[in-house]
Amino acid sequence: MAGARDGEVTIRSATFTYANLVPFLAFALFPFYFMLITSLKSNAELYNLKSIPFLVQTGVIADHYQYLFQRTEFLTWMKNSLIISVVATSASLAIAILAGYSLARLRYRGVASFGTAVFVTYLVPPTLLFLPLSQVVVWLGISDTIWALIVTYPTFLVPFCTWLLMGYFRTVPREVEECALVDGASRMQTLIRIVLPMAVPGIVCAALFSFTLCWNEFIYALTFVSQSANKTAVVGVTADLIRGDIYYWGSLMAGAVLASVPIVAVYVFFLDYYVSGLTAGAVKG
Amino acid sequence: MRATSRREFLRAASGATAGVASWLALGKAPAFAQKRELTFLSWNHFVPVSDDELRRQAEAFGKLASCEVRVDTIAHLQMPAKIAAEAQSQSGHDMYRTAGADAFLYEHLHANVDDVVEKLGKQYGGWYPFSAEMAKTKSGWKAVPWFWISFQATYNMAHFKKAGLETPKTWDELLKSGRILKRQGNPVGIAISHCADAHSTFWSVAWSYGAKVIEADGKTPAINSDRTAQVIEWYKELYRDAMEPEVLSWDDASNNRCILAGKCSWIHNPISPYNAALANKMPIADEINHHNSPAGPAGTHSAPPILGLGVWKFSRNVELAKEFIQFLFRKENFDAWIVASNAFNHPPLKNLADHPIWARNPKFAMLPKEAEFAHPRGWPAKPSDAVQRIDDNYILADMVAKAVNGMPTKRAMEWAEQQVALALKGQLKVG
Amino acid sequence: MAVGPRALEVTGLHVPGRLARAREWWEQEHVFGYGLIVPALLLLTCLVAYPFGMAIYFSLSDYWVGSPGGFVGLANYRDILANDVFRQTIQNSFVFTGIALTLKTVLGVWLALLLARDMRFKRLIRGAVLLPWVIPTALSTLGWWWMFDSLYSVVNWTAIRLGILSPPGPNWLGQSAYAMAAVITVNVWRGLPFFAITVLAGLVSIPREFHEAAEVDGAGPWGRFWHVTLPLLRPVLAVVILFSTIFTFSDFNIVYVLTRGGPVNMTHLFATLAYQIGLNGGNLGQGAAISLFLFPLLGAVVFLQLRYIRKE
Repeated sequence: MAGARDGEVTIRSATFTYANLVPFLAFALFPFYFMLITSLKSNAELYNLKSIPFLVQTGVIADHYQYLFQRTEFLTWMKNSLIISVVATSASLAIAILAGYSLARLRYRGVASFGTAVFVTYLVPPTLLFLPLSQVVVWLGISDTIWALIVTYPTFLVPFCTWLLMGYFRTVPREVEECALVDGASRMQTLIRIVLPMAVPGIVCAALFSFTLCWNEFIYALTFVSQSANKTAVVGVTADLIRGDIYYWGSLMAGAVLASVPIVAVYVFFLDYYVSGLTAGAVKG
Repeated sequence: MRATSRREFLRAASGATAGVASWLALGKAPAFAQKRELTFLSWNHFVPVSDDELRRQAEAFGKLASCEVRVDTIAHLQMPAKIAAEAQSQSGHDMYRTAGADAFLYEHLHANVDDVVEKLGKQYGGWYPFSAEMAKTKSGWKAVPWFWISFQATYNMAHFKKAGLETPKTWDELLKSGRILKRQGNPVGIAISHCADAHSTFWSVAWSYGAKVIEADGKTPAINSDRTAQVIEWYKELYRDAMEPEVLSWDDASNNRCILAGKCSWIHNPISPYNAALANKMPIADEINHHNSPAGPAGTHSAPPILGLGVWKFSRNVELAKEFIQFLFRKENFDAWIVASNAFNHPPLKNLADHPIWARNPKFAMLPKEAEFAHPRGWPAKPSDAVQRIDDNYILADMVAKAVNGMPTKRAMEWAEQQVALALKGQLKVG
Repeated sequence: MAVGPRALEVTGLHVPGRLARAREWWEQEHVFGYGLIVPALLLLTCLVAYPFGMAIYFSLSDYWVGSPGGFVGLANYRDILANDVFRQTIQNSFVFTGIALTLKTVLGVWLALLLARDMRFKRLIRGAVLLPWVIPTALSTLGWWWMFDSLYSVVNWTAIRLGILSPPGPNWLGQSAYAMAAVITVNVWRGLPFFAITVLAGLVSIPREFHEAAEVDGAGPWGRFWHVTLPLLRPVLAVVILFSTIFTFSDFNIVYVLTRGGPVNMTHLFATLAYQIGLNGGNLGQGAAISLFLFPLLGAVVFLQLRYIRKE
C-alpha cells in the first residue's frame, strides 16, 4: 500500500467518502434545520404559498416562543419530564444493577431462565401493554398523575439496563471479586465497593439511555395523563398546541425544538457513551 | 351506697363525655366553616381566551357562594375516556361538559336538572329545538345545554365574484358553482376523511336530502336507502368536478388552511379561519365571508357541535353545581363569555342569541339562525353510544371515501349498513 | 466463621445469634442471587406479566372503558378478522416493516462502510448521523408533518423546482401510497442511525487480516465485501434486524403523529388501530385483541432470528 501514489489515493478516497456522506448528513439534519427556521418565521410568511421555505425572509421573530411560554404550560411540562426521567431512571438503575449483577456473576439454579425471562420482557412492546396498563393505573389511583409514568417506565427500562449492565459486569475480572470476598467483605460490599466502580462506564451508559428513553416516551404519557398540568414535554407539545382546527405551527416547531434541547445537550456531552452503548449491545450479540 | 355511687358515676360519666365532646368540638373546625370545593371538568376550548373567561367567572362565583371552584380542562378527544373512568369509579369531578350522547349514555348517573332548565327557559325566551333533542331523556332533563358552535358555509367573496356566481342556497347549487370554481382554480373543500368536520358536513347533507342513518326507534339501521344513494352520488360528483383528491386526507385544520391560502373558495366550517386571518392580519380576511348552511330537498339541517353541562349524581355538591350553572347563564356572564370566545360560543337560548357581536357584524349576522336547523347526531334517533361510535370510527366518511374511490354506491351503502348494525349491536347498557 | 455460633453459646459468650445467622444465610451465593433479582422480578411480574395476562383477558371479554363486561370467548377476534379495516392493518404492517427494514439494512450497511473509512471529523460526523435516533420521535415527526403538508410541503416545493415532480406535487399524507411512503421515510430516517452505528461497530471489529488476505487473493472491493465482510457481519446484522423488526412492527409514534392511520386506514398499524378502537372508541376488548396480534408475529420473528443466529 506504500508508494508515491498514496497522496492521490487518499484525496480521491476522501472525496469519495465525503461526497457519499453528504446525502446522508443532509437527510439526517435537514428536518432539524427546517423545524428551527419554521419556529422563527412570522405567520404571514409561514402561510404564504409564495415564500421560500428554506429561509426567513421577513425577519426573525420570537413570537412563537413567546406564545409557547406565556400561553401554554410548557415549563411545567419540561419540569414534569425532568422529574419523571430522573426518578424513573434512578429507580430502574438501582433495580437493574442488582439484577444485572445477580444474572451476570452469581450461580444458582434458574439463573439462565431468569436471564431469558428478563430478555423476553424487553421484547414485549409497550404498544401491547398500554391498554391493560391504562386500567392498572386507574386501579392504583395514580391515573392522570406523573406517578403513573414513574411507576410504568421501569417496565421497559429495567430489562434494557439489566441486559446492558450484565455485559459490563462480565468484564470485571472474577479474581478481584473473589479477593474481596476472601478478605472478609460481604457480597453487598463487594458489589458496591469493588464491582460498581469498575462498571461505571456501563452505568453511565445505562443512565443516559434510560434518561433518553424516558424523555422521548410517547404512548404511555399520551394514554395515562390527560390533564395539561401533568403532561410531559413531548406529549404537551404534540397535543396542546393543536386547538381543534387551529394549528399553531410556529409554536409547534418552537416547542419541538425546545423540548429536544435537553436531550441534545446530554447527547453532545456524552456522545461517546451513546455510541459505545449501541455498540456494546450489538457486538455482544 | 350503691345507688348513690351509680348516680354519681352517671353524673361523672356524663360530665366527662360533655367535656370530651366540647374539647373535640373546639379542636376541629366546624364542618360548615370549611370551604366547599366544586370541581368542573371541561375541554381545552379552541379559543383559549374563552377558558380564561370561564375561569374568571368560576372565581367570581366562588367568592359569591363562599366556595372554591376548580376548572380542569383536557383535550376534547380525551374526554370520553376520562368521563367513562369517572362513571365507572363513581368519583371524580362534580360536573363536566357533555358532548354527543353523554346525557343519554350516563342517564342514570346524572342528576336531574329539570328545575334549572325550566327556569332558564322561562327567563330567556325558550330553548332551541335541538336542546331537548340532546339533553331530555326518558327520565327528564339530564344536562343543561350550554352552547353550540355554528357550522356554516365559509367562502371567499373574491373567487365567487370573479366567477360571477351567487352564494349557493342549496347543495345542488354548490355542486354547479363548484364545477365553475374548480375550473377557475378555486375548488370547493369538504373533507372526506377521518376528521370531525367530515362528519359534521355529512350529517348536514344527508339530513338535507332526507336520508337517515338510524331509524327513529334507535334500533334499526336506515342508511341503506335511495336518499343515501342520492347523497353519495352528490358527493361523487362534487369530488370529481369541484374538489381535489387531497380532501381524502384532510384533518380538521386542512380546510382552514385551504381557504386561508387563497386556494379553496368554499368550505363548511366554524368561523375559526376568519378569526385566524384577522388575528394574523392576513389580507385574505377581507375576502372571507359566511352564509347559512345550504338546503336540500328535505329542508335545511345541520349538525353543529352542541355541548352541555352535566352534574354527576354521586357528587356531593349537586345543588351548588346547579347554582354555578345558573350563574354562568346570567346575561352579563354569558355575554362576556361569548365575547371572550370571539363569537365562537352560541347560546342555546333564544333571547341570549341577540348579541351585538353577531347582530352588528355583517359577516356574523346570519350565524345565530343556524340554531334553528341544528340537530344532535343520530337524529331522528336519540343520541346514543352507537351514534357516538359511528362518529368515532368515521363510518360515514369511510363510506363516502370508498364510493368516490370507485366502489359502487350500493356496495358502499351495504358496507356502511353492516358497520352501523355492528355499532347498534354492541350498544352499551350503562347503569 | 471458623467457630460456629453454637460453640460460642456453649462457652457462655454472648453472641447475637439471630443476626449473625441471618447474615450468613444472606451471604450464600444462591440466596444473595435470588435476593438481588427479586425487585426486578417483582416489577416485571406485576407490571408486565400481569398486564399481559389482563390483555388476554380483555381480548376474551366484552370489556369497555367504564363497563367491564363478561367472557365472550373468541368473539372479539372473530369480529376484528371480519373487519376489513383490520385486515388492511395487517397488510399495512407487513408492507411497512418489510420495506422499512430492507431500506434500513441496505442503507445502514452502506453508511457504516462509509463511516468506517479514514476521514477527518469522524466523531462529529458520527454524532450528526446518530442525531435522528436520539431526538424524541414524536417531536421530529411534527417537523416531518409540516414538511409533508398538503399545501406548504417543502418536499414538493423542492421537487418541483428541481423538475422531479410537476406542480402542485402529490398530497403526501392524503393519498395511500404516498402516505405509506411518507411514513416509511420517517421510520427509515429515525432508524437508520441505529443500524449504521451498530453495524459500524461490527465492521470495526473485523480483523484487518481477513481483508488483507482477500486482497492478496485478488478480490476487488465488491468481492471483498460480499465474501468476507458480509458473512462476518451476519451476527451483528441478525441482532440489529431482530430488534428493528420488533420496534418497527410495534411502531406508534410516527403513524400517530403523521397520519393517525389515514388516509382511509391505509397507514394504520396494530398499535395505532388498537389506540383508536380501545381508547378513542372505548372498546378495550377489541383493542386488546388487536394489540395481541403483535405477539405471535413477534414471537415468530424472534424464533426465526434466534434459530438463524444459532445456526451460524
